[in-house]
Amino acid sequence: MDFGYQINPSSAVNLDQVDRRRYDALVRLSPDAATCMGCGSCSATCTSSAWSGMSVRKVLLGLQRGRDAEVNRMLSACMLCGKCTMVCPRGINTRQLILTLCRLDKNGEVVR
Amino acid sequence: MRERFANGFDPFVIPFLIGMAFVLGYCIVAMIRVYFQLPKPDRKRFLVSLVTPRTAWKNIKDIFLNCLIHVKLWKRNKVLGYMHSSIAFGWFMIIVLGHLEVMLFVPERIHLFYYPIFFNYFVAETEQTLPGSLLMFLMDFFLLIILSGIVLAIIKRFASRIVGMRRTTRLSLMDRVGLYSLWAIFPLRLLAESFTAHISGGSFLTIPANWIFRQFLGNDLHALPTWWAYSIALCVFMCVLPFTRYMHIPAEMLLIPMRNAGIKIRHPRKGFALLEVYSCPACGVCIDACPMGVRKANCKDATVYLNRQLRRGNERRIAEISDKCLLCGKCSAVCQVGVEGPELRVAQRERRKYALTPDYGMIDAASLSQHLSDLPFCGPETAPVEGSVLYFAGCMTHLTPAIRRATTSLLDKAGLSWKMMDPDGGLCCGRPLMMAGRSETAQELIKKNVEIIRASGCNTLLLSCPICYKVFKEEYPLQGIRVVHHSVFFQELIAAGKLQVQHEDGLRLVWHDPCELGRGCGIYEQPRQALSAAADLVEAGRHHAESICCGGSLGSLSLGFEQRRPMTQNALKDLTVADPDQIVTGCPLCLATFSRYADRPVHDIAEILDGRS
Amino acid sequence: MVNRQPVISIIGAGIAGLEAARQLSALGYKPVLIEKAPVVGGHVAEWNRLFPDMSPSEDLTGPLRAQTAGVRTLLNTEVASINRLKDEYNLILSDGSSLLCQAVLFATGFHLFDASKKEEYGYGIYDRVITNRDLEAWFNHKDDRRIDHPKAVGFVHCVGSRDVKAGNAQCSKVCCITAIKEAIEIKEEFPDAEVYCFYMDLRLFGKKYEDFYIKAQRDYGIHFIRGRVSEVGEAVDGRVVVKAEDTLNGKPIKVTLDLLVLMAGIVCNPDAQHYAREIGVAVDDDGFLKSRNNVDAITESSRPGVFFAGSCTGAKTVPETLAEARSAALAIHQYLNKPR
Repeated sequence: MDFGYQINPSSAVNLDQVDRRRYDALVRLSPDAATCMGCGSCSATCTSSAWSGMSVRKVLLGLQRGRDAEVNRMLSACMLCGKCTMVCPRGINTRQLILTLCRLDKNGEVVR
Repeated sequence: MRERFANGFDPFVIPFLIGMAFVLGYCIVAMIRVYFQLPKPDRKRFLVSLVTPRTAWKNIKDIFLNCLIHVKLWKRNKVLGYMHSSIAFGWFMIIVLGHLEVMLFVPERIHLFYYPIFFNYFVAETEQTLPGSLLMFLMDFFLLIILSGIVLAIIKRFASRIVGMRRTTRLSLMDRVGLYSLWAIFPLRLLAESFTAHISGGSFLTIPANWIFRQFLGNDLHALPTWWAYSIALCVFMCVLPFTRYMHIPAEMLLIPMRNAGIKIRHPRKGFALLEVYSCPACGVCIDACPMGVRKANCKDATVYLNRQLRRGNERRIAEISDKCLLCGKCSAVCQVGVEGPELRVAQRERRKYALTPDYGMIDAASLSQHLSDLPFCGPETAPVEGSVLYFAGCMTHLTPAIRRATTSLLDKAGLSWKMMDPDGGLCCGRPLMMAGRSETAQELIKKNVEIIRASGCNTLLLSCPICYKVFKEEYPLQGIRVVHHSVFFQELIAAGKLQVQHEDGLRLVWHDPCELGRGCGIYEQPRQALSAAADLVEAGRHHAESICCGGSLGSLSLGFEQRRPMTQNALKDLTVADPDQIVTGCPLCLATFSRYADRPVHDIAEILDGRS
Repeated sequence: MVNRQPVISIIGAGIAGLEAARQLSALGYKPVLIEKAPVVGGHVAEWNRLFPDMSPSEDLTGPLRAQTAGVRTLLNTEVASINRLKDEYNLILSDGSSLLCQAVLFATGFHLFDASKKEEYGYGIYDRVITNRDLEAWFNHKDDRRIDHPKAVGFVHCVGSRDVKAGNAQCSKVCCITAIKEAIEIKEEFPDAEVYCFYMDLRLFGKKYEDFYIKAQRDYGIHFIRGRVSEVGEAVDGRVVVKAEDTLNGKPIKVTLDLLVLMAGIVCNPDAQHYAREIGVAVDDDGFLKSRNNVDAITESSRPGVFFAGSCTGAKTVPETLAEARSAALAIHQYLNKPR
């Protein structure tokens, strides 16, 4: 839709253009990733978040909103301590989710 | 005594010779290969250990006790122990006695490989001398022992419960060929020797058998074919041996000296790891031991199947089995040959490729160290002194505030000066990364944590989490600082009279040995001693090295929450066989996991001690 | 009316049981109420005021009690076991007597989730962590040394609800509105206290609920933070430190509180599951009893002659429970008058 003006186009997420291959591959490999309800327990408890802003919730959201750079930055700060797995009310195996994501390239293929 | 054939040869020995040549050649090549796959320092260490009298003697002792007598198996299951040692030791004795006979009666034939094996075919009437009859007797005796073992083996194969195994290994096709040829060897030998016993002589087994057969067999025409069959069975067994689980026989003889030399797994598929894989006799003891086996679907993920898939190179299954394991270490604890299931799996995990590499550059250890040194001490002293305690709660303990509270309270009661390393959360110890196969990345965390610990000035590092404890103890360069688990620390304080604990009569507690603390670090007795000061102790069905993992382990990468539930419930069932009032453990992860499904209170050891001091 | 006076036993004399007994009496039946507690009224009798009208719970339970005074009520009595006979059920009671009845109504209600099971929230460890039940008791009796002029109060929604780890994946339905009600009441008691509600989703579906929310925001200045509390620590002065993520802002937050109220969720009464299994009545995978269907037969079980009312089939509000009790009474009436 053309409003005749634009407000900083880069900050709006255009879902039509988001590349969700990595997210789709993740959900295929660990289906419980799709059940996140965004409660933020993982972010609040995260050992690494104080330094990196790491948050499994944001990783999952970021993947679905095309924020790949941010997602990768967060993922690389994870220490795999497992606290997020402990607190997740949906019982998502977040450690597996993170390890799976770290194995996917930007096309959603498992690196070999 | 007389030799029946002047040339000392008959074509029926050819199959045996072929098999022998093949298996010897194969094993020698394989041994050389394994040796050269070791990293250079390991090779040197191995050679040195072979000529060091102490290790050399230990090698001989271990090979004799483990490969032939199967001492470890005896301790675990007497029937299985008898079955294995009867076959292994009996066979060994028959070979030794065969050589003795040759040396005694026809020393000029000792260079003929097959002579000791087929002695009774080539040499006659040896039982008429005293040493001859004694040897003949021993030969029959050990043959009988072996045959009794074979009978047990057949029973085990078709009804494993009778010999005390709930489950036994599903055999591959090659294993079946090997198994049936092994089963055939000794009955055939008995038949062959019996058929020739009236010519060559025999003892209490072969002579009566010979008499019976002669009642209805008119001539000796069947004797030679039976010797042929015996030789062929030996040939088949030896030719398939490298491709079956029986490869464990030669492999273990190399594994034992290498392990005694202190060699560890350095490569997931080569050298020592390869040797461990081939040393697996596929006995299946690990199937029953595995805590995942509660769900039948997980039985195929036991270490015995990991070894099989590693031999086959089935990458999909290797990855699946490696990722699923809880790394509780129970398979290693019960393994007869000492295959290190968890270490093998972690090695496979380390092999994995990642698109993203962790980077902890943003963590400023210097400011964390500063923050920690600024933190005031609790207790009598204001500055670090000899005996100041640094308490690292660790990630998981932050989710179990009762542990943290009881631990700090006990430190106060003991009048110690202490501070907490991570009051608002700290860095991870690195062990979860190592378990996931990312030890190189873990080193980065280790470096940062060491800097912080050193900055505190304390010389005791207290851990309430066994996962942390293990890695701090084993991987951290912390010379001059004592790393101690709180269960041990408090036991010492109680023993030294610095903590007074009231005994509550009638309260029955059961101690759950956490995997990382018990099998991981060998700490079994101190927590029990500490708890005995507070209440009466009962034991779980399985305890010490056989304790069952709570199912919450960080070791497993792929087990989901619901899949772990039956494991936890099974562990709880075993913990409560003596109907204790409370369950006590020393690991925040075990505590959180058990609390979920337990029908009675679950506490950390610190809570129990704090509540009664 | 049927020839013989049929016996209807109602297990549980909470508001569902009482209301059903009242309706059945009005229809001319003589129901029997079986209550394991020494008093009738159930959970609601322990509550102080009810949303959305803020009416005292006594206004509901008082008249209910009075109008069922004539009903045969067995207090301090538990059902030891139930046997299914042909067209009838035989209840063995804890006093050793037995009761043969033509219809059984489960009004067994719910259990409040045991908040100490979520150890990370520190209930039973920290003095300043209480539950919704503790707070209602304080509203009633005003004696709880844990509540002493708090300056900062937090409410944690969904404790043991929507939580697979706690064994309850389902929503407890009433905690959101209860938390807002209690937050307002705290604010009325301690006007200068800061009050925070930590929620995952605010589910304010009922009549007037949204008005409550607006009132809480506008008139009472209650802070709503969208984020589930992950852990509760202790500050040096003994106050509790709550950690959560402010998910709307995407930043972790931390707040030090004098009082933390855990909104313990609703789980099925384990007794009800036990009885149900005895007579082959289906239990749903959420642990609650399974209705014949969840659209037009909520009060009917999979067995003829067994009926449900109230929160034995899932979390219910008070008006829903009362409506179901009436509906169950009618269903029983129809069942007993069906030509056989």
